[in-house]
Amino acid sequence: MSTSANQKRELLRHTVATLAYRGGKAIANVPEGFNSFRIKEGTRTPEQILAHIGDLLDWALSIAEGKQRWHDSTPLAWNEEVARFFSALEAFDSFLASDNVLKASEEKLFQGPVADALTHVGQIAMLRRMADGPIRGENYFKAEIEAGRVGPEQSTRRTEFD
Amino acid sequence: MESKRKLLNHFLAALAYRTQKALRDAPPDFGGFRVKDGVRTPAELVRHMTSVLGYARTHFIGGRYSPEALESLDEEVERFHEMLGLLAEHLRNGAPLLEGMSEERLLQGPFSDAMTHAGQLALLRRLAGAPVPPENFIVAEIEPDRLGPDQAAPVSPDKVWPEAPPDWKA
Repeated sequence: MSTSANQKRELLRHTVATLAYRGGKAIANVPEGFNSFRIKEGTRTPEQILAHIGDLLDWALSIAEGKQRWHDSTPLAWNEEVARFFSALEAFDSFLASDNVLKASEEKLFQGPVADALTHVGQIAMLRRMADGPIRGENYFKAEIEAGRVGPEQSTRRTEFD
Repeated sequence: MESKRKLLNHFLAALAYRTQKALRDAPPDFGGFRVKDGVRTPAELVRHMTSVLGYARTHFIGGRYSPEALESLDEEVERFHEMLGLLAEHLRNGAPLLEGMSEERLLQGPFSDAMTHAGQLALLRRLAGAPVPPENFIVAEIEPDRLGPDQAAPVSPDKVWPEAPPDWKA
């Protein structure tokens, strides 16, 4: 793989790590009943959004492998869906970290499933605020985010504010 | 352009595309729609998106950036796209980042911040009773030099939309 391709792939991995960090924060320590909080009829609940993010990450891996497949999953219990989120991140990141050839460009993987997942993390964060359980603001520029760190164990050294 | 910066430029183009999608054909009063006290309106969100991108730009040019609120959502959107263009120019011309900043930190901080807010605009559209039709974004016409408000129509809109409003047509 060329150096140029490596650099893009590493930056995509950093985006995946960012998703783990930001997503992990949005779904941790949620208020009681938040999983099924529905602000209005016809909108997704947090557990539906989180299940959709899991589907997006599975889809991302399938595209990277060249075997594109989509599956609409039924939401699991919240803690199980949280675990699925991180395991899907780990599976996708492991592929990106390997020497396997990417069957889609970094740009396409980013503009599709990865960017989608980031937007949905923003929606969960907004629902947290609507449910009176907001997450604290943070200077994410200073966050200890690193490629490959995509599990639930994220840095606790944070620059947060209210 | 160096390859990391190419991907960051593409990030900005995807942000332009998704923001426009979230705002296209919005109700006239959408800019001031406040779903609840303490939750930003769409106009406030777009201003904040401009603010975080302007903050990113200060890591090329120094100084501080704190945009004033504008009169209308349309004006906020225009300024947002101008900021996307200004920021992309630094990526394209190889401008060095100031001390302490890296492409990775730009991505994890202000760039990702703005993308999460684009998702919030889409959520507010739904709450305002005018949801945004879904599409397959991986085939969307997202081009690195297309950062303005004139974005492509969806290439592959979803044929099935279970939560569609009654007047929606595929």
